[in-house]
Amino acid sequence: MLVELAAEYNILRIDWVKFTFGAIALAVVYLFVVRKAVPRIMSVLDERHDAIEGGIERAKKAEAEAEEIREQYREKLQETQREYAQELEKAKEQRAAIIAEAREEAQVEARRIVETAKAQIEADRQQAMVQLRNEIGTLSAELASRIVGETLSDSAAQSRVIDRFLDELERSEDTQQVEVR
Amino acid sequence: MSADARILAAEPNCHLFGDNGCGFTPPSIGMFFPEPWYANIAGSTGIDLYLVLLLVAVGAVLLLWSWFSKKLSLVPGRRQSVGEMLVLFIRDQITRPTMGAKGDRFIPFLTGVFTLILAMNFTGLIPGMLPVNSNLAFPAMLAGVIYVMTLVIGIRNQGGWGYFRNQIFPPGMPKPIYVLVTPIEILSVFLIRPVTHALRLFATMFAGSLLLGVFAYGGWYMLNLTAEPLLAGVSVLFSGAALLGYLAFFLFEILIMLVQAFIFTLLAGLYLNDSLEAAH
Repeated sequence: MLVELAAEYNILRIDWVKFTFGAIALAVVYLFVVRKAVPRIMSVLDERHDAIEGGIERAKKAEAEAEEIREQYREKLQETQREYAQELEKAKEQRAAIIAEAREEAQVEARRIVETAKAQIEADRQQAMVQLRNEIGTLSAELASRIVGETLSDSAAQSRVIDRFLDELERSEDTQQVEVR
Repeated sequence: MSADARILAAEPNCHLFGDNGCGFTPPSIGMFFPEPWYANIAGSTGIDLYLVLLLVAVGAVLLLWSWFSKKLSLVPGRRQSVGEMLVLFIRDQITRPTMGAKGDRFIPFLTGVFTLILAMNFTGLIPGMLPVNSNLAFPAMLAGVIYVMTLVIGIRNQGGWGYFRNQIFPPGMPKPIYVLVTPIEILSVFLIRPVTHALRLFATMFAGSLLLGVFAYGGWYMLNLTAEPLLAGVSVLFSGAALLGYLAFFLFEILIMLVQAFIFTLLAGLYLNDSLEAAH
C-alpha cells in the first residue's frame, strides 16, 4: 500500500502538462509584463531622471549666468571706483594748483604792494628831504646871517655857499648810507 | 477537488478524545496530488487544481502590472510609485549587484519572473489551496528557461567554446588543479546548478505547505466539542495552541515565499552574469 502510494505520488516527477502550461504562463507574462508594462515604467523612470538632470543642468546654467553678471557688476563697480579715485586725485591736484596759484598771486600782489609802499616811502622821503633841505638852508642862512651879521646879505652868494655846504653834507651822508647797507 | 483529498487524508470524523478510537493521521504527500478533473492524458496526472491556481497567479500578475503601468506620469502617484519601487528593487537588489549596469536590459525579465514566482507562491496563502511552486513541474520550467537563456546568451557573447572554456576552466589556478576542478565545474555549472535552482524553490514551498497542513490537521483533530465538558475544554485549548502555531507559521511562510522568489531571481541574475562576460 505504502509502496504503491509512493509510486503514485512521486513528488519529483515533472508533469509535462503542468510544465507546458507553466511555460505558456511565463510566455503570457513575458508578452504583457516583460515586454510592455515594465519597460513603460522604466521609460517613465528614465524620463524623470532626464527631467531632473535637465533641471539641474538648467539651474547650473542659470547659476553660471548669474555669476557672470555678478562678475560684470563687480568689474563695473571697480572701474567706477577707479574713476572716482582718479577724479579725486585730479581734484586734489587742481586744488593744490589753485592754492599754489592763489598763493603766488597773493605773493605777487603783496610784493607789488610792498614795492608801491617802498616807492611811496622813497618819494615821501625825497620830498621831505627837499623840504628839509630848503628849510635847513633857510634856517642855516638865517642862523649864519645872525651869526655873521649883514655880511652875507647877498642872496646869490648865500645860496651858493649853502648848496656847496649841503652837497658836501649829502656826499658824506651817502657814503655813510652805503656803509650802513 | 483537492479539498476532498485533504479531508479524506485528515479523516474528519476522527478527533482527540473521540470514541471511535482512531489516532491522528498527519497530512501525507497526497495533499500535493489533487484529484484531476480530466485525467485522460498520457504520461500526466491531467488537468487539476494546480492549473487553476496557475491561472489565478498569472491573472494576478497581469492585473497588478496593468494597474501599475496605466496612466503613467512624470510626477508619480502612490500607485505608480509602488510599481516603480518594485522595478527599482529588482534593479538595485538583483541586476546591479549581480551584473552591473550591463544587466539593466534584464530588469524587465527578472521583474516579470520575480512577480510571477511570488504570485505562484502566494496561492498557497489562500486557505485550503497550495502554492503553485509546490509542484516540481513549475520551478523546473522556470529554472529550465533560465538555464537555456544562460547557454544561449553565453554562447552568443563569448562564442561556443569560449563560454564553455570560461565556465569549466576558472582562471588563476595552477594547471594540475584543473584535473580536479574541471570535472567539478562541469558537474556544478551544467547539471547541479539548474537542478538545485528548481529544487530549492520547490522544496521550500512543498515543506512550507506541509508544515501549515500539519498545524491545520492537528488543530482540527484536537478540536472535539462532543466529548465530556472538561475534555472538550482541554481540546479547545490544544486546538487554540495549534491555531496560534498555524498563524505564526503562516506569517513565517509569507516571509519564506518572498525570500524564495527573491533568491530564485537573484540566482538567475548571477547565472546570467556568467554568460554576459568572461567571468572573474
